[in-house]
Amino acid sequence: MEFKDLPPVKEQLMKCVRCGKCRSVCPVFAEIRNETAAPRGHVFMVQMLRDGKVEPTAKIYDHLGNCLMCETCSVNCPSGIDIHELNAAARSYVYKSNPTMTKEFVFDALWTKPELLKNAVRMMWAAQKTGMQKLARCLGITGLLPGDMPKAEKILSKVPGYTAISKLTEINKAKGEKKYSIGYFLGCATNLLNPNVALATVNVLTHNGCEVTIPADIRCCGLPHIANGKIDTARQLAIHNIKLFNAYNFDYIITDCASCSSALAAKNIEFLLHGTEYAEQGQIFAAKVMDLNHFLIDVVDIHSHVDAKARKIKVTYHDPCHLANAQGIKAAPRDLLRRLPGVELIEMKDANRCCGGSGTYSLTHYDLSMQILDKKMDNAMQTGADLLATCCPSCMMQLRHGINRENWDAEVVHPVELWSKLYGVN
Amino acid sequence: MTLRDNLRRGDILEKTDIQKELIKLFGKDALLTEDLDLMYYSYDSSFLTKLQPASPYAVVFPKSTEDLQKLMTFAYKNGINVIPRGAGTGETGGCIAVEGGIVLDLSNWDEIVEIDVSNMQVVVRPGVIHAKLNEELAKYNLFFPPDPGSSLMCTVGGMVANNASGLRAVKYGCTEQYVLGLEVVLPNGDVMITGGMKSKAIKNVSGLNLTKLMVGSEGILGIITRIRLRCFPKPRARGIAMAVFDRLDDAPATVLDVYQAGILPSGIEILDSSAIKAVNDFKPNINLPDAEAILLFEVDGNPPSVEFEGGVIREMAEKRARSVEWATDPKRMAELWEGRSVTAAAAARVRPDGSRIFAGEDISVPLSKVADVLRAIRALGDKYGIKVVNYGHIGDGNVHTAPVINPENPAEVEQVLKLVDEIHLLAIEMEGTTTGEHGVGAVRRRYAPLEHGTALDYMRKTKDAFDPKGIMNPGKLI
Repeated sequence: MEFKDLPPVKEQLMKCVRCGKCRSVCPVFAEIRNETAAPRGHVFMVQMLRDGKVEPTAKIYDHLGNCLMCETCSVNCPSGIDIHELNAAARSYVYKSNPTMTKEFVFDALWTKPELLKNAVRMMWAAQKTGMQKLARCLGITGLLPGDMPKAEKILSKVPGYTAISKLTEINKAKGEKKYSIGYFLGCATNLLNPNVALATVNVLTHNGCEVTIPADIRCCGLPHIANGKIDTARQLAIHNIKLFNAYNFDYIITDCASCSSALAAKNIEFLLHGTEYAEQGQIFAAKVMDLNHFLIDVVDIHSHVDAKARKIKVTYHDPCHLANAQGIKAAPRDLLRRLPGVELIEMKDANRCCGGSGTYSLTHYDLSMQILDKKMDNAMQTGADLLATCCPSCMMQLRHGINRENWDAEVVHPVELWSKLYGVN
Repeated sequence: MTLRDNLRRGDILEKTDIQKELIKLFGKDALLTEDLDLMYYSYDSSFLTKLQPASPYAVVFPKSTEDLQKLMTFAYKNGINVIPRGAGTGETGGCIAVEGGIVLDLSNWDEIVEIDVSNMQVVVRPGVIHAKLNEELAKYNLFFPPDPGSSLMCTVGGMVANNASGLRAVKYGCTEQYVLGLEVVLPNGDVMITGGMKSKAIKNVSGLNLTKLMVGSEGILGIITRIRLRCFPKPRARGIAMAVFDRLDDAPATVLDVYQAGILPSGIEILDSSAIKAVNDFKPNINLPDAEAILLFEVDGNPPSVEFEGGVIREMAEKRARSVEWATDPKRMAELWEGRSVTAAAAARVRPDGSRIFAGEDISVPLSKVADVLRAIRALGDKYGIKVVNYGHIGDGNVHTAPVINPENPAEVEQVLKLVDEIHLLAIEMEGTTTGEHGVGAVRRRYAPLEHGTALDYMRKTKDAFDPKGIMNPGKLI
């Protein structure tokens, strides 16, 4: 489909009155503070691209790419414009005229093939384990990495030595009576970087009457590709996953990753597949997709036994943008925490403000990402919490980096990990 | 050809020369000079700049009076236009380089210099965001009362330059009533302090009132760099009344009754039938009653006075309204007010293949003419085949008209420009003005002779006294 015919470009572009409300909520604008970083500026530039007033140059990509895709502007737009979709569509359009070897390799060759991605992460683990990473840093070899990667590679510290999938079976039987047949969309980052979250998810689900199936050959949800101008690849990945999951008869397709659930939700599937032969299948798939927190609270209605002797623990919660903004899910993760014995949930200021991680943004815009993270950490630390809970692997990685930078004696967890501990290790 | 024309940009320095000189003065990182970057400064929220965006030669981000003096000395010497800009939320093209020039993005200069609690004053730099200022003042039980709809993003400097107001103007007036003194960098680089070099006095009739001259001058006389504002004690209580009318004329009549009963609410808002429909279509759960008009009264003060005033409003409104509800419970107040708070957004979504536009959006007429004007605007909408949503601050006769068109359809654009022209002329004919609070800028300048007659000559002479070379924000206001 032509750029100008894409639904957000065709239907929404005209609605921007440039009121500037997006300026007041955008975390990137708050740091850069000139109009080139304002969401309405991105909308304006999309219009200029559509109208052929500017050429799709690398410089325009840099401007459009300086956006977290956190969707804060979209949810606050009085005119109801999905600004992030406009931006994503434009990035893809501009990228086609300005492809880079690195992106072609990372997003097409590597990030579409789970086995290769796994091997890449294993190599990182091995480099860390053998001291090669430290050596590379000392020798300045990391300085050869593109863009902000030499600085940002620190965020990727402590890669686990195993994947979730290596510890789980394809079918995980319900403990007790089977109530739900669940397809578990095990995202790449959870599988490779936070395997404990995946183990906890399966443990908690099976303890609550779910038979959990992890179909073989799940591929990336496509969100990193959308953010990096690779919409066509994201579309192919979506079609693969839709076919894969639709071959089963699941009651729900659950994911513990905020980014995955937002990428698999009806709105994004519509964005990717509108006007294609897969549009209908895509919506059948998307109708079953549900965030884990939402499922445990609103479908399962999970409860724990009352334990007056439970250790008191202070937890604060950070809203992942792809959960709070993209899907409006704010209460369920908090309820999930509150229903745990001993947990005292302390709200941080601006809990729903982006942490600056945003998938690959922290790797490509390290310094800005750290400025945004610093604000988040200030608010989080003011709560005096022992645990910093969130539901997105990218946020978890970023917040762990924040804790290291601040030397804060706290731990980053997914709420489901606390529930899993309650049930005992799987 | 006048001296001013001779000294216009281009006669002396080309755009690239100007950019080179600015880089020498401020350094490359402190400016924008690339064509692509400059395009982002070619618009504000006006329909005009949607149709005709205009890029500046450069964008500078001043953060000190000295920076600005340096800049203005250079610009004055070389006859280069200078256009101050806040957050670019204006609806008149006021901050756009419509005749070329250097744009000053003042939104980064956002220091709250001093909150003088003992004198109930605050001193700020121009880029402070209105909502942020009130957040800080609230810590001392103070507030800066003017309340524009763009509070979250607009700058106080922009408010002063446009004499902005908003929902609470009925009781608290406009920005001008709060400005005690200003620091202004003049076109020739001089710095002028208005309101007394040292004065912190609330009452001050010494000298010509240059503060009032600067407030609302839309950047054509100088650049406002420091603002001393008077603050008010923050009210402790609030109440909302909603009155629903079957006849449009009953709404302004009720407003008059309330005034005559000795009550001055902090805000009185109207939604006519077009706005009611837009709100209900946008958010059906708000479920506003189907009516010709809805009035929302906001009362603030101390709890007993709020209750008393609410009682009087209810009594007055019940004489004509189909129903009246009074609430002081925060949850219910928010529910009652929600219809008004989403009106602008609702107007934006009233047509799936269109958008509201900001043009002819801010007329202000005497209270006695409000109903006639609303009817006349509806008729004009019908005449041009354009859907129009009307809402606004009826307490001071300030009507916000939102024409909804497909802005990319040239035929609709042509029709809507005729419509807004008629709306502006209607306002003047009805003994009102083309703009109650948004300003003149580039879009309403052509009505100035009709509105001001010979007074316009004296405005131009005043402009010449401050800006003999005509470099300050040309093409605006007068």
